[in-house]
Formats: sequence, structure tokens, C-alpha cells
Amino acid sequence: MAKDMQQLYAERLKRYVTAMRNEKPDKIPIRPFVAEFTAKYAGFTCQQVTHDYEMAFVAARKCAADFDWDAIVANMVYVWTGLTQAIGTKYYGVPGIDVPPDTGFQYLEPPEEEAFMKPNEYDALIEDPTGFLFNIWLPRISADVNAMGEQTSYRNNLSFLKGGMAMLNYFNAFGTQVDLMRTESGTVSAISGILKSPFDIIADKLRGYLGLVTDLFERPDKVLAACEALMPHLLHVALSGADPDKNVPIGFWMHRGCVPFISQKHFDNFNWPTLKPIIEEIWRHGHQVLFYAEGSWDAHLDAFAELPDQAIVYHVDMGDIFEVHKVIGDKFCISGGIPNYLLSTGTPGEVRDYCKKVIDGVAGDGGYIMDASAIIQNDAKVENIKAMTDFTREYGVY
Amino acid sequence: MAEQKKPKRKPGVCVPWEEKVKELKEIRADKELVQKVWEDIDGLGYVYIWQCLLSF
Repeated sequence: MAKDMQQLYAERLKRYVTAMRNEKPDKIPIRPFVAEFTAKYAGFTCQQVTHDYEMAFVAARKCAADFDWDAIVANMVYVWTGLTQAIGTKYYGVPGIDVPPDTGFQYLEPPEEEAFMKPNEYDALIEDPTGFLFNIWLPRISADVNAMGEQTSYRNNLSFLKGGMAMLNYFNAFGTQVDLMRTESGTVSAISGILKSPFDIIADKLRGYLGLVTDLFERPDKVLAACEALMPHLLHVALSGADPDKNVPIGFWMHRGCVPFISQKHFDNFNWPTLKPIIEEIWRHGHQVLFYAEGSWDAHLDAFAELPDQAIVYHVDMGDIFEVHKVIGDKFCISGGIPNYLLSTGTPGEVRDYCKKVIDGVAGDGGYIMDASAIIQNDAKVENIKAMTDFTREYGVY
Repeated sequence: MAEQKKPKRKPGVCVPWEEKVKELKEIRADKELVQKVWEDIDGLGYVYIWQCLLSF
């Protein structure tokens, strides 16, 4: 790697890490969660970057090289549908097959009565989550995997073989991608590892949202016990993918476990008590967690404030970033807050004005990372992303 | 997390070594090597199913 590229990488890493520790770097770091925007910019379709991860990697690196960004996710179009197709996964709308080629992949939640886990199956999940996933859940979410007791099949066997080899292939390719980001453009890989809350994962992939909220009233003890049973596994997965250098955080993707999808009481009694210990344990291991607070989690800021200083980086989507800063800004770094609608339908001038408002409001003492509110898809205008980047570079100097 | 109930199948494990070793004849040498390789590869099965749940 050229010395100037090494130096650039070191500067960006220091800037990014300093801000994430809620301290003041030399400049505001820019770390946009660019997803399908990368395809648009690189001249690919959503189908291409979703179905061929090498094209997604190329598109991400092209953006990293052309924009002055400190860090990006190595592939924010994270679901490689080549892999999910090999497994036979039923719950994706695949660009070019189920949805138009220039629409991002979609998650298809089944109707309540067809949920991947039935209401009377909590005990099996609680008893042995890994066994439940292999024996009960996987045959239901895959068109190819046979249920236990069913006659096996050619397609069943191939699902495991191809799925396993493809997953290894994909995960191994991230090593090369991260190296190329570093050596080609001096760009930091923004996160490492994955976490979801036990409560959210029950809604997302097991009972469905409607099933879970019904269960909160009809079998609350089972829901809580299931969350508790999932906790050690989700912690294990999070730590096993964490950055060994403890620089970049574990990505925590927050979905529907908040008001108004559930009540404050249900958050306090189910989601938070089975999530908070995971975050605390991760922090005890020396890793930060990036709360990607999709939607608005403003109703729960006081709960998040219970976490140790610096334990998390809090990403603001539709929450009130100024309120977030007021409540938890003294403890944690904040990121995001530039509305996606503005990046899609606004003008560069409007984007610059909004960036100024956010920087003036929350970034004065450091501890802020520039980004859009939600992941940036292919509706965002290139000139607006450029405006967000250039303005932050010009104005965001300490 | 210390107060959490211990799971039946530990995190990172699909088929525990303690279960597998009962199926084997006597291991004449380097039992630790056999155990390590079993556990490393077994862990890949764990990665597969939990990543299917969480990432895909």
C-alpha cells in the first residue's frame, strides 16, 4: 500500500474511532450507510448488486474511491440473494424475479397463520434454540429443506451443501473486500459483526410481528423465556464477528421492538431486560455496539442512557436528533439524522442547509458522525450525496 | 448475563464433543487435536444456522 494511502487510512480510522468514543476528532467523520445507492452510482441495477456480491463489492469500492468518506460498510446490500436462492429461502422478494430489477430486495413477512413458528412451539425454542432452528424453522423457511421425519431429497441435500459453501465463500470474500477498501482508497470498514435483539428476532423471523404482539397478551411468560433463551446465542454470534482490534462497533439492527409497535410497558418488561445485559456484556469485552435505531426510538432514550458511557454509538433515523443529543449526547456518539426524503427529492442547497442545522445542533463537542437517517438506496440523488459530503468536509472542521 | 439459565446446547455448538466422543473408538493419541478439529468444524454448522436467522 502506498504510504500516502496508509496515512489517509490511519487518519480516517483515528477520526472515526475518536468520534465514536464521543470525543472531538479533527473533523466530523463521514460514514454513510450506502446500500443500493452504490449500484446507481456505479451503473449497476439493484438486481446485479443483490444477486452478484462481487458487483456489490465493486460498486461499494467505487463510491469509497470517488467520495471523501471516512468509512463505509463493506457491502450494505447485505443479503446476497444468490446464497438465499441456494438455500431455498422463501422470504425474500428478489430484484429481477419477484420485484423489478431496480427495486431493492424486499423482506416478505408471512401472514400470521403461516408464521414460521407456531404459538404452541415456544417450549421447543426455549429448550434448544439451535435444534429448533435446524429442525423446525429451517424446513419452513426453505423451499428445499425437508421437515424432520419427511423423506429426504436431492434438493434437501443440495440446500445444505450449496448453502454452506456459498456462505463461507461470501464471508471469506469480505476479508479481501475490506483489504481493497483500505489499500485502494484508504477507507475504513465501518462495522464488524451483527446483533439483533431477542425480542426483535422473534417478531422478524419466528412468530411475525402480529404473532408476537398477540403472544405478549396470551402467553407473556413464554415470550420472556424465549427471549432469555436466545440471549446467550445472540451474544455469542455478536462477539464472534466483532473487530478483534476493538476499533469499529458491532452493528445492531433495531426493528419493531419500540413504541408505538409495542407499548412502553412491553418494552420495559420484555425487550429491554433481555437486550441490555447483552450490550453490557459486549462492552465488558471491550466492543462498542452501533444502535441502528430504525424508525424512532425516542420513547426509550432514558433506558439507553442506563448503559455505560461510550458503550454504544446511536444512529438516528426518524427520531428527533436534537432531542437524542439532549438526552444521551453526553454519554454516546450520535450519527445520522439527514432525512432520506431530502436526499431523494431535495436540492443540494437544501441538503447543505440541513447538514448545517444538524452539525450546529449536535456536533459542537465532537461525538457526531455524518450520515443519512436510514440506509441510502437508489432514490438518493448523486448531487445530494455529494452536497452532504462536501459540506461536511468544508464546515465540519474542529 | 451470569444469572441466565445455561442452555441445553451451548452457544457455538451443534453436536457437543462429549456426545461425539462416545461414538468413537479409543483415541490412541492427541485427543485434544481430535476434539479441537471436531469443535472448530462443528462451529461452522452453528454459524450457518444462526447467520441464516440473523443475516439472511
